Amino acid sequence: MMPIWTKSGKKHAVTLLKVQDCHVLRYISKEESGGKTSKLLVGGKNASPFFKSESAMEIFKEAGVPRKQKVTTFNVTDDAIIKPGTPLYAAHFRPGQFVDVTAKTFVFLEVFQGLGKFFVSVRDTGESHRVLICILLYKAAKVYRGKKMPGKMGNIYRTSFGLKVWRINTKHDIIYVNGSVPGHTNCLVKVKDSRLPTYKDCNKNPPFPTYFADGDEKLPEDLYDEEIFQFTDPSVTYA
Amino acid sequence: RVSSDGKPEKFQPPPKPVIIDKQKQRAERRFLSPEFIPPRGRTDPLKFYIERKDMIQRRKVFNIPEFYVGHVLAVTTADPYANEKASRFVGICIQRGGKGLGATFVLRNVIEDQGVEICYELYNPRIQAIEVLKLEKRLDDNLMYLRDALPEYSTFDVNMKPMSHLDHEEVPVNKLQVRMKPKPWSKRWERPKYNIKGIKFDLPENKMKEAQKWSQPWLEFDMLREYDTSKIEDKIWKEVSEGLKN
Repeated sequence: MMPIWTKSGKKHAVTLLKVQDCHVLRYISKEESGGKTSKLLVGGKNASPFFKSESAMEIFKEAGVPRKQKVTTFNVTDDAIIKPGTPLYAAHFRPGQFVDVTAKTFVFLEVFQGLGKFFVSVRDTGESHRVLICILLYKAAKVYRGKKMPGKMGNIYRTSFGLKVWRINTKHDIIYVNGSVPGHTNCLVKVKDSRLPTYKDCNKNPPFPTYFADGDEKLPEDLYDEEIFQFTDPSVTYA
Repeated sequence: RVSSDGKPEKFQPPPKPVIIDKQKQRAERRFLSPEFIPPRGRTDPLKFYIERKDMIQRRKVFNIPEFYVGHVLAVTTADPYANEKASRFVGICIQRGGKGLGATFVLRNVIEDQGVEICYELYNPRIQAIEVLKLEKRLDDNLMYLRDALPEYSTFDVNMKPMSHLDHEEVPVNKLQVRMKPKPWSKRWERPKYNIKGIKFDLPENKMKEAQKWSQPWLEFDMLREYDTSKIEDKIWKEVSEGLKN
């Protein structure tokens, strides 16, 4: 996480996400998957090919790509299909865009968490105040879905929505995303265009279907949002 | 002159004088700002490299002078609500914290009998100028005890003139022992964990002995706490000096 300053002098905290060896692995058509849209399997971050069975390695062999640590699905419209084996870069996103980031949450202690959060007191009250007495009140005659129960905390997929992309480094494939992101440092993360209704029309002229490195477009090393203070400018003044 | 052989002695010219340029010798002293050194952790070194590029870029445009804890600085910041859109604050630097772009330093001064501390970010674009008014290092790295010291030690004239200092000279160390207000203090500064050498403790002997009960003499031998930064510093120094030359 890093600080970033706007031209008006405000400070924002920013998370750095690195796009490490992402490739499209397979195209699954609408009928095959049984959903509403067709899907694209994308893999990220190369890993060693020796610890998986032959059947698991088939997808990577077909695409002609080393084994990937993480494989995710993206729902895609039919006009945005990409050929399996194409690499994906950070320049797929542009500054000013809004993005959702999904990851497995951070685990502080890999230990069964009791009801320490339920009854909070100033003094150490001992076991009598940390025991589950009843799981529901009133005459519901059932347990609500999502009822908070004791168990292990963390390591579940969570998403943070509507994060602004401030800056993109095309040389090292880094995306600067506003705010914090679920997960520990150096964990694998899925970045998608935001599905929030306020940011539906945010992205104008995105690289469609994706940014191709061997294409005609030559991007500068750093792409900044309009409001960011770039360190090449002189200090901010309020005239 | 006749030598022991009987032949006339050959003329020996006097040895050439060796001129040692003291200025060049002293200019070898180099200073790497502490926020460049990455903290120990599991973060990718690429992140620190990219942060350093931004920091070097900012330093090229805006001059951040070399300063330590104990220097008296004057900082002018752009302020939308001030009269001339710029506010100037003079104070002694009591603490330098943070790494990378978020590095901060705290300036303390006593204005009209009210102690004021302001925490500035080194790389904040609103800072217009940082001037070093008085150069002196103190015995400690952290002068937070000035809050419990007598106010005369934290007062500095707002219109102080900058003191002259030659580049090649070493930064002088002020071995001032500060006198404190009566107890209670905000922290128990006599305890060995703060390791303060700059206070003149007027406490009785038994209190000082009691404070030594909290000493942890095994800490300096703990090998897991060792963080040797000499090689990292060398690499970063080369990177930073090359970046600033261009």
